[in-house]
Amino acid sequence: MKLPATSSSKAPVKPTADNLVPIRLDIETEGQRYKDAFTWNPSDPDSEVVVFAKRTVRDLKLPPQFITQIAQSIQTQLTEFRSYEGQDMYTAEKIVPIKLDLRVNHTLIKDHFLWDLNNYESDPEEFARTFCNDMGIEDPEVGPAVAFAIREQLYEIAIQSVASAREIKISKKGRRGAEHAISSKGGGNALDLMKLFRYNSSVVRKRKEWYVYEPIVDILSNEEVDALEAREDRNTR
Amino acid sequence: MAAKSPVKEPPGTSAVNPTTPLAPPPVKPELPSSSEPDVVNVPSYSRWFSFDSISECEVKFLPEFFDSRSPSKNPRVYRYYRDSIVKHYRENPSRKITFTDVRRTLVGDVGSIRRVFDFLETWGLINYFASVKTLKWEDKETKSSAASAESSSALKETSKRLCNGCKTLCTIACFACDKYDLTLCARCYVRGNHRVGVSSSDFRRVEISEEARSDWTEKETLQLLEAIMHFGDDWRKVAQHVSGKSEKDCITHFIKLPFGQEFICKESDSEDVDNKFFSINNPSDAVSESENVGATSPSKRMRLTPLADASNPIMAQAAFLSALAGVEIAEVAARAAVTTLSDVDDRASKGSLMRNTRQQGMNSNPS
Repeated sequence: MKLPATSSSKAPVKPTADNLVPIRLDIETEGQRYKDAFTWNPSDPDSEVVVFAKRTVRDLKLPPQFITQIAQSIQTQLTEFRSYEGQDMYTAEKIVPIKLDLRVNHTLIKDHFLWDLNNYESDPEEFARTFCNDMGIEDPEVGPAVAFAIREQLYEIAIQSVASAREIKISKKGRRGAEHAISSKGGGNALDLMKLFRYNSSVVRKRKEWYVYEPIVDILSNEEVDALEAREDRNTR
Repeated sequence: MAAKSPVKEPPGTSAVNPTTPLAPPPVKPELPSSSEPDVVNVPSYSRWFSFDSISECEVKFLPEFFDSRSPSKNPRVYRYYRDSIVKHYRENPSRKITFTDVRRTLVGDVGSIRRVFDFLETWGLINYFASVKTLKWEDKETKSSAASAESSSALKETSKRLCNGCKTLCTIACFACDKYDLTLCARCYVRGNHRVGVSSSDFRRVEISEEARSDWTEKETLQLLEAIMHFGDDWRKVAQHVSGKSEKDCITHFIKLPFGQEFICKESDSEDVDNKFFSINNPSDAVSESENVGATSPSKRMRLTPLADASNPIMAQAAFLSALAGVEIAEVAARAAVTTLSDVDDRASKGSLMRNTRQQGMNSNPS
């Protein structure tokens, strides 16, 4: 199923070894709000969606109306994902920055690192597990959240790549226009490796930039958590 | 937490006794649930489990991790899920963990996590509570008879055996396999619901004596009839109304009561207990239904539903099948079954009871 990586943008490619879909749920019914985020394997049969919805409702003791809503939401996101899957992506040599800025219960995580889109062995789950081990994070819910955040961003980037690949096709008539599109959209976020690794620059990051890429893990107190949650609620409403 | 916590199998399901003998009641532990804090109970059909390895059972039931079709699913990931879930459960074995608890703490796609979770739960490696009850009961037994290997194997012979397959109480008859020390209820035996290496011929049938159940007094029978008139086929409520009888007892007894039809059709008393299935919900319907042998499909279909959601699955099954098979066949079949049942019980000297009930039935239902 997995096609070998080619530099041409014709072959459908996957940004990661296993294309897991980041699913976000935020449902409010009858005064109860259910928020969740997890990764889903799109090769699971669709019957799994309802099974999962029922299980979740049962485990969390939510009212049964949630079952259909959860299932629908998951199904919609899956369908959207599938519309992108297999599409051409414009992926020239592409290293993209990933930013983590999330809060899980009492743990605050901030991080910034580079991710190689062309490396199909890359595994956000593995990254998340290693991250938690290395940073000595005790809350087990942080791992999945980190993996989810990475996948979400990769997904966004993938969508943009598909969109830009389409535009390039459309604007094929004017070659100059195409080049312009490539440089402005396709390589917007990505680092130009050629520029970075010229003969007279070193691979080692400059010291003054270290703090940008350093992972920060903060444990918050209860009051800080409450304050942040209140602010988040206000923002989303 | 130790990578491999000592595993103890409840004596009722295994002849191999724990290395720590069931000493006279241990000191009340801090964990109120288990009698010994460091010991986890695992059903004997899951003794293949080990933190250090993956058994062929797991490969067979969760092939997705072992067929290299998906790069993110491999044995290492499987062990990560499995070990995390089991350790999570064992942190507090008295509490039932849910799938949602667990998947929030595991990095991975929720579909695979759910399948691993369900697998572990089915095999009693997590959320396994049945043994706790039998342990307590057997603790009391060993209290009275000094703790020793002999007494716990003697315990096997007494009633109250749990089926290894479906973990329900065995009644009437069960099938025991001495080679592997398994006990299966009739249903699981018929279904072949046992471990891979065991064959049906290894089992022998063991009757469970009904001495534990006391005879029915007239007062209890009267309560039973009242309750049934009131609650229909909600056997839970019926059992509550009748003091001292369980649901199963009520149903069994009710089956054997000679009933209704004999007074209307004026036939011999041993027949016509079968129509109880239909008489429960709608006595008038039952009468008309037995007379209109060629029941039309719509009314037949209607009659399918009254008992289709009976709380006792056996009743629901029987009602469904009898409706499908047709009235005549169902009648004859039920009659034959009940007659044999009664004969078996008659041999266990319950003849007097039948006479009593008939007497009382005739008194309370004037023709």
